[in-house]
Amino acid sequence: LGAGQSIQKTYDLTRYLEHQLRTLAGTYLNYLGPPFNEPDFTPPRLARAERVPGATVDLELWRGLTDNARLAANYRAYSRLLCYLRALDGQAGTAELRHRLGHFCSSLQGLVLSIAGVMSSLGYPLPAGPTAAPGSPGAANDFLKKMDEFWLLKELQTWLWRSAKDFNRLKKKVPPAVVTLRLEARGF
Amino acid sequence: DSRIQYERVGADVTMKCGSMDWDAAVTWTANGTDIDDSHLNGSYLILKNVDLTRSGQYSCYEGSSWHLKYQTYLKVGVPPKEPVLMCRSNNYPKGFYCSWHLPSPTYIPNSFNISVIHGTREMVCEKDIFPKNRCHIRYLQLFSTVKYKVTLTVTNALGKNSTTLTFDEFAIVKPDPPESVVAKPVPNNPRRLEVAWQNPSSWPDPESFPLKFFLRYRPLILDQWQHVELSDGTSHTITDAYAGKEYIIQVAAKDNDIGTWSDWSVAVHATPWTEEPKHLTTEVQITETTSTSTSSFMPPPTTKICDKGAG
Repeated sequence: LGAGQSIQKTYDLTRYLEHQLRTLAGTYLNYLGPPFNEPDFTPPRLARAERVPGATVDLELWRGLTDNARLAANYRAYSRLLCYLRALDGQAGTAELRHRLGHFCSSLQGLVLSIAGVMSSLGYPLPAGPTAAPGSPGAANDFLKKMDEFWLLKELQTWLWRSAKDFNRLKKKVPPAVVTLRLEARGF
Repeated sequence: DSRIQYERVGADVTMKCGSMDWDAAVTWTANGTDIDDSHLNGSYLILKNVDLTRSGQYSCYEGSSWHLKYQTYLKVGVPPKEPVLMCRSNNYPKGFYCSWHLPSPTYIPNSFNISVIHGTREMVCEKDIFPKNRCHIRYLQLFSTVKYKVTLTVTNALGKNSTTLTFDEFAIVKPDPPESVVAKPVPNNPRRLEVAWQNPSSWPDPESFPLKFFLRYRPLILDQWQHVELSDGTSHTITDAYAGKEYIIQVAAKDNDIGTWSDWSVAVHATPWTEEPKHLTTEVQITETTSTSTSSFMPPPTTKICDKGAG
C-alpha cells in the first residue's frame, strides 16, 4: 500500500470513528446521567483530566508541523487515548455499552496501526518513549470519575476532528502516486 | 443646556418649569406649538400615558417676559428586549463572527457590549465598521475542547437586557455559499449540463480545510429537486437532464468534516443542447413552394426525397 493510499485509508478510518463516536458518546453520556448529558454542561477540568492528550494547538504551530511531527502527535495521542478508553470499557455498567466500547476500542486500535503504517511508508520512525497512559490513582468519588470520562470522550472527539484535518493536509502533500502508475500500466 | 429626557411608552410625565413657582404664569410649547392649559397643573406640564408621538422639544417661557425658563427634548421609547445573537465561522480556521439585532425597536439609542470567554480567557471581539452590529474574533488555538461563551448586553436609558450563547468551535462552522456558479449545455449532448463553481472567497484555506458540495437541480416545470453530493472538485456534469427543458441549479458547501451546510448559492439557469432544426433545401421543399396545394407533412430527413414511394 503506497503512502498516499495509506493516508487516504487512515483519513477514511478517522471519519468512520468520528461518526461512530458521535452516537457512542451520546449513549455513554446518557449512561453517566445528568448533568453530563445536558448539551451546555461543561464540568471543570481537573488535573487528572489534563493528563488525557489535548488536541488543542496553536493555529500557526499546527500549520507549521512537519509531516513527521504531525503523524507522531496523532500516534502518541491515540495510543494513550486507547489505554484510557480500554479502562472505561471494563467498567461500563451495561453489557450493550461494554460491547460498543469494545468494538470502538478495536477500531481505534486499527487507527493506531494505520497511522503507524503511514509513518513507516513515509520512512518515519515510530515515536520513542512511553505511549501507554501513565498509571494513576482512581478518582476520589463517582462524580469526579464521571468528569474524567466526560473529558476523555470530549478530547477523543476533538482529536478525531483534528486528525481529519491532519490527514487532509497530508493527502494533499502525498498524492496517491502508486494508483496512477498502476492505471497507466494498463493503458488507461 | 440641551437636556434629553427619556420616558417609557405609557408613562405619565410631569415637567417643572425650571425654578418657577407652582403658581407662576407660564407658557409651554411642544416643538414650537403652544400647549393648551388642559395639560397644565399650575406651572407644571402633565403628559398622561405618553406615546411615541409625544417625543419632541418642550419649552417653558415665563408668562410676561417670555424668558425661556426650561427646555428639554423628550424621547419616548421602551427598554430593550432580549437581543438575538448569532455566531458563525464562515472563515474557519481564522475565527468567527457574531452579529446581533433587537427583536423589536426601542425608538431610543441603544448601546451594545459583547464579551467572549474561552475557558478562563477573555477574547477581543473586533467591531466591524460595517455592518455596525457585528464583530469578529480571531482563533488563537484550534481543536479546542473548551466551549466559547459569548454574552451580549444591550442597554438604553430605560433598561438593560442580555443574551448568552455557548458553543463548541466546530458547531458554528458554516461556510458562505459557493460563488461564480456557471451552468452550460454540452454540445451534441441533449441530456447533459456542465456546472462549475468556486469556493466561497471567504473560506481561507481550502487545501487544509477542503469543502464538499451539494448540488441540486430541477427543470423549471417540476417542483422536485434532484440532489448530488460531491466531495472533490468544483464542477459536475449532470447527465440525466430532460432534453430541451430549462433547468434551475444551485450549490451549497460544507467543511468536509465539521459544521453545517452553507445556504444555497444564487440560482443559475441553463437548458441542455438541442439539435438545430434542419432547413430542407431539397426538391420536395422547392416543389412545395411553387405548387398551390399545401402539405403540412414534412418527410423525415432520412427519407430519399425523390422516391415516389415516400408518402
